[in-house]
Amino acid sequence: MMMSQEELVDTLAGLSLFSNLSRPQVEQVAHKMTEESYPAGQRILRQGFSGTGFYVIIDGEVAIKIDGEERARLGKGDFFGEMSILLGEPPVADVVTTRQLRVLHLGGPELEEFLRDYPPVMYRMLKTLALRLRNASRWRS
Amino acid sequence: MAIAETDGSRPARRCYRAEVPRSLEEKSSALASVPLFAGISSQSMARLADSAGEVEFGPGQFIVRQGQVGTGLYVILDGSVTVLRGSDELARLGNGDFFGELSVIDQQPRNASVRAAEQTTCLALASWDLLALVESDPAFALNLIRGLVGRVRAAGEHHRH
Repeated sequence: MMMSQEELVDTLAGLSLFSNLSRPQVEQVAHKMTEESYPAGQRILRQGFSGTGFYVIIDGEVAIKIDGEERARLGKGDFFGEMSILLGEPPVADVVTTRQLRVLHLGGPELEEFLRDYPPVMYRMLKTLALRLRNASRWRS
Repeated sequence: MAIAETDGSRPARRCYRAEVPRSLEEKSSALASVPLFAGISSQSMARLADSAGEVEFGPGQFIVRQGQVGTGLYVILDGSVTVLRGSDELARLGNGDFFGELSVIDQQPRNASVRAAEQTTCLALASWDLLALVESDPAFALNLIRGLVGRVRAAGEHHRH
């Protein structure tokens, strides 16, 4: 069931990715991105295949799988798909829903402009990527 | 290495650099060729040329030490460096590559050491100047994000082997 625009804006304002935006900016974001819903067990991004988008989870959970092996899970407020878009390369992992999922979706070609329009989102993304890089390095050592 | 030592062109150029600091225009044109600064505004470029300093490192000299909290980001203008964790060599970086950004972004200690592999000239950008650039110039922030994304992916792929 889709939320009202008002509820959606409230939900988005509570996600860390959008937490530094003004209310009118969050409303714009809700307008620019498309709300989508997926059942459990659906593959949203496919390892090695192009044709992607940027997704922000508003409810539910996904598993990140490389060569069929689960590596991580993402939940509310997490995002995925930006790596492939920004690198211009196919995804290196499958992203599969573990249960009913609700996301906001932005088409790949729109991501750069979106980030330029909302520097606080870019800054949040930068912080998250830094954390991912730390974790990846910790793993390896 | 005997050939490198008797090749007069590179050492001569380095001497020139060390003795005569580059003008702002020369610095700007050197910076414009660095991918991290591609497409940034002319104001950002001017600010960068003004605030960033050039630093020289001798072969084997540590530029960044693992465990220390970082105070800045480095861009290699001429030379090459080795990225080390403990005694493991993680990567080798050359002209136009940058390092040290992670510690500036998350204010945590450096996760690796970086050592000059040869005589190396770096551009050093202080934390506050870097963060000011991130906030004022979306093109720069996007370049930085792209750099991080590439590293996250490389780290992940490395892990798979």
